[in-house]
Amino acid sequence: MPTSNDRSKPSSALDELESLFPAKQFFCEPAHLAAFESDALTAFQARPLAIVVPESTDDIISAVRWCAVNQVPFVARGSGTSLSGGSLPVAEGIVIALNRMNKILSLDPQDRIAVVQPGVINLEVSRAADSHGLYYAPDPSSQSVCTIGGNVAFNSGGAHCLKYGMTSNHVLGLKAVLATGEVVTFGGPSLETIGPDYTGLFCGSEGLFGVALEITVRLLPKPERFHTVLVGYRSLQAAGDAVAAVIDSGLLPGALEIMDALAIEAAEAAVACGYPEGAAAVLIVELEGPQEKIKQEKLQLDDLLAQTGAFAIRVAVDSQDRLSIWKGRKSAFSAVGRLSPDFIVQDGVVPRNRLGEALARIEQLSRETGIRVANVFHAGDGNLHPLILFDGKISGALEKAEQLAGQILKMCIAMGGSITGEHGVGIEKRTFMPEMFDQPTMDLMKRLRSAFDPHQIANPGKMFPGREPPALALHGLHPLEKAGVISRE
Amino acid sequence: MNEKPNVLRPTTTDDLLDIIAGHRSVLPVGNRTKPGCSPCPDDAAGNFDRPALVSLTELSGIIEYEPSEFTFTAHAGTRVTEIVEILKAKNQYLPFDPLLVDAGATLGGTVASNAAGPGRFRYGGVRDFLLAVCLITGDGKTIRAGAKVVKNSAGFDIPKLIVGSLGRLGVMTEFTFKVFPVPSARTTIQVRCRSHDEAIEQMSVAASARWELDAIDYRVAEKTICYRVAGPKPSNDLIAGEILDRSSGNADVISLETSDRYWTSVRELSFTGPGAIVVKVPTTTTSFLELADAFADNSNVEMHLSVAGSLTWLAIQSVPALLDVEKTLGELSLAGLVFRGPVETMWLGQRRRYEIDRSIKQAMDPANKFPSLWPDD
Ligand SMILES: Cc1cc2nc3c(=O)[nH]c(=O)nc-3n(C[C@H](O)[C@H](O)[C@H](O)COP(=O)(O)OP(=O)(O)OC[C@H]3O[C@@H](n4cnc5c(N)ncnc54)[C@H](O)[C@@H]3O)c2cc1C
Repeated sequence: MPTSNDRSKPSSALDELESLFPAKQFFCEPAHLAAFESDALTAFQARPLAIVVPESTDDIISAVRWCAVNQVPFVARGSGTSLSGGSLPVAEGIVIALNRMNKILSLDPQDRIAVVQPGVINLEVSRAADSHGLYYAPDPSSQSVCTIGGNVAFNSGGAHCLKYGMTSNHVLGLKAVLATGEVVTFGGPSLETIGPDYTGLFCGSEGLFGVALEITVRLLPKPERFHTVLVGYRSLQAAGDAVAAVIDSGLLPGALEIMDALAIEAAEAAVACGYPEGAAAVLIVELEGPQEKIKQEKLQLDDLLAQTGAFAIRVAVDSQDRLSIWKGRKSAFSAVGRLSPDFIVQDGVVPRNRLGEALARIEQLSRETGIRVANVFHAGDGNLHPLILFDGKISGALEKAEQLAGQILKMCIAMGGSITGEHGVGIEKRTFMPEMFDQPTMDLMKRLRSAFDPHQIANPGKMFPGREPPALALHGLHPLEKAGVISRE
Repeated sequence: MNEKPNVLRPTTTDDLLDIIAGHRSVLPVGNRTKPGCSPCPDDAAGNFDRPALVSLTELSGIIEYEPSEFTFTAHAGTRVTEIVEILKAKNQYLPFDPLLVDAGATLGGTVASNAAGPGRFRYGGVRDFLLAVCLITGDGKTIRAGAKVVKNSAGFDIPKLIVGSLGRLGVMTEFTFKVFPVPSARTTIQVRCRSHDEAIEQMSVAASARWELDAIDYRVAEKTICYRVAGPKPSNDLIAGEILDRSSGNADVISLETSDRYWTSVRELSFTGPGAIVVKVPTTTTSFLELADAFADNSNVEMHLSVAGSLTWLAIQSVPALLDVEKTLGELSLAGLVFRGPVETMWLGQRRRYEIDRSIKQAMDPANKFPSLWPDD
C-alpha cells in the first residue's frame, strides 16, 4: 500500500488535487486517513491516499473529474455504516466524504417531494417534512445516522418494505456526476417518467456509477394510526405459519417481523423489553392507516391471530407501548453483542413460503458446526438476518463463521431467493454474484458498469468478484453501535 | 394511420432467436395498443432504421403464480386482462392500474411503455411492482435480472432500467411482478371546483391527508376532481363523508356504475375520441397549471390529469395542433411520449442529450439490433 513517502506516481497529480481545495477540505495525514479505513463491516480495512470533503456540488464534480482525468479510484462515503464493505476505501484511491453536503435543498408539500444533498441524514428528511404531515418512508435501523446518498447507493430497506418498497421506490430523480465526469439528470419531480428508468438503475449501483449530487425523494402522508401486536409462540414454525395466515387474509400490514429465542434473549438482556417469557419466537405485526380503517382491520387481525396457536398476545395500548414493543426488535442486533464478543450479520432472502424450511436448515447448520445463530427477520418479505456468533480471539473462528454465512447465502440462492435483501453486495458478497446470476447476466452488468465507468475508478473491487480483498481483520460493532447511537435492523 | 404493418409472430423462443439473428434491426411489440411507441416504416416517415416488427403475443401465458408470495411470473406476450382475471380469482391485483387492458395490452408493452394509471398514486407504478425480467439481447443472449422474491438488492437493477425502454434495450420475454391483496371495497367521490388553481390546491391537501387515498384524478374540462378511497366499506364511507363535509356542497359520492365507467375511461384512455393523438407527459401540479394555461384557448388539445398531478394526458385532435404541443412542451421544459397517433417521432418537447444514455444503449445492445431511443441526433 502506498504511504505518504512512496506515492511516487500520483504524487504530483495529488498535489494538483490538493490545490483544488482549501486545507479544511483535503486531508492526507495518516491520523486523518485512519478514521476512514473501514465501514460497519469492520473486518475489512484499507487506507486511502487522501480524503476530500466537498462543501458544494462543484467540489464533488471537480474531485470526480480530477479522478477521471488521472484515473485515480474514488469511493464516495456517506456515514460509513455499510454492512457489506461498500464504503471501504481503495488503498490507491481517494475518499470523497459527503457529510458536509447535508442540505435539504427544497421541500415541496404541494407535490410531496424533497430535493436533498447526498449527505443529508435519512431521519432529517422526515423531521423536515413532519410539519406538513408528511414523512420519508424508507426506514433502515441506521436511519438516525445513515445518509440518503448511501441509501440510494445501496437501495436500503427497513421494516416496512413489503407495503412501501425500498429506497429506489421513493427516489424520483437525481442529479449525478458519473465516473466519466459527465453530469446528468435522471428522472425528475414527477412520480411518472418517460423513457428508460435510469433513476431506478442508479439506485442500488453501490457507488460504481458515480456520485449522486442531488436526490429527489417522494414524501408520504404520515399514518394516522398504528395497531401493533406482539405475539408469543412456542415454536418458530408456529410464528412462520402465523405470517402465512396474515398474508392469506388479504391484510397488508406495514410490518411483519419475527425474532427467535436467542435474539429475544439478547434483546431482553440489553433493553429488558418484556417479551413473553419462554417464547421460542415472537412475531410483531403492525397495521397502519386512517383510524376508521384500522378500527376495521384490527378486528380482523386480532381474530386471526387468536387462532394461530399463540400463547401470548399483547396489543400496544398507546404510542409509548408501541415503541416499547419495537425497542426489543430494534435493539436485537447490537444486543446480540451481549451474547458473543463478535458476530456477523447476514442478509439473504428466500420466498416467504420457504421461511420455515430455511430456518430449519440454518438450525441444522448451526448444530453441525457448533456455531450459535440468532435469527431476526423481516418475515413479510422473506428477508432473513441470521446473526452468526463467534469469538474472534479463537483462531479460525472468524473463518468458520464466514463459511457458515456463505452456506446460508447458497441456501438462499438454491431456494430461488437473493444474496441480499437490503445490505448490498459490497465487498462481502461479491464472490456469490456469479452463483446468483449466470454468465450473460454478469457480462451485461459489467458492460453497464463500463458504460458509466470505463476506467473502473468508481468504488472498484466491489460487487464484482476479481480483485483481491484487503486482509480480514476483526469483526465487532460499529463504533456508533458501541456508543449506543444506533442499532441494527 | 396507414394500413397495418407486417408483423412477425414467433411461437417459440427459438423462433424469436432466429428472427433476431436473421434481421439487421428488430423492434419488439405486443398488441400495438400504443402504436405511437413503435412507429414503423409504414406509419412513420424516416428517421428510424427500418426494423422488423416482432410481436410477442404468441409467447404468452402465466408461468407461475404463488398468491401467498404476492408474486407471479408470466410471458411478456400475456394479455394484461388474462393476468387481471387470474389475480382476481385470488383476490389480488396489480395496484398501478395498467392501461389499455380491455384494448388488449400485453405485459411486455405495459412495461416497455411504462403504462400506469391512477392507482400509481398510492403504492407506486410499473417500476415498483416489477421484480425480475428475462431479456433477450440483440446478440441472442438470455439475461435473467432481478429475483423472483419481493425484496432483493443484488446487482444492478436492470428490471427498473427496462421499464420505459420501449423495446429499444432488448426483447423482454418474461416478468415476475409483485402483487397486492385487493381492497375489499372502493368508493369514488367527485368534487367540482371553480378553477384549476382551486382544484390543485384541494388535491394537494387531500394527497397529504390522513385518508391515504387510493387515487386522485382530475377531469380538466369539467374542473372535477375524482378521489378514490379503498379499504373496508364502513371506513370508506366515513372517509367519504368527511371529504363531503369539507367540500361545502360541491361534492358527491358517485354510484359504483358511474365510477367504474369513469375509471375505465381513464384506464382505457377513452376519455377522448378514438382518433385523437394521445401523449403522456410527466408533470408536477405547477407544470400542469402552466400547460392548462397554455392550452386554455386551444380547442384541439384536451387534457386529463392523473396521479394527483404527476401525469398529464394530452389528447390532440389534429396533426397541426401537434406542432403547438411540441413547441409548448419545449418552452415549459417538459417532455411527452406519444402513445397513440400517426406521428414520426415518439418524443415531444424537451429531448435528452446525455452521453450516458447512448453508452447504456450500447451496453444493453452491443449488436445494435434495436432502433435507437433518442433518434434525433
Ligand atoms: C447498526 C446498523 C443498522 C443498519 N440497519 C439497516 C437496515 O435496517 N436496512 C438497511 O438496508 N441497511 C441497514 N444498515 C446498513 C447501512 O446503514 C445502509 O447500507 C446505509 O444506506 C448506508 O448509508 P451510509 O450513509 O452509511 O453510506 P456509506 O456506508 O458511507 O456508503 C454506502 C455505499 O454508498 C456509496 N455512496 C455513499 N454516498 C454516495 C453518493 N452520494 N453517491 C453514490 N454513492 C454513494 C458508498 O460508496 C458505498 O458504496 C445498517 C447499518 C448499521 C451499522
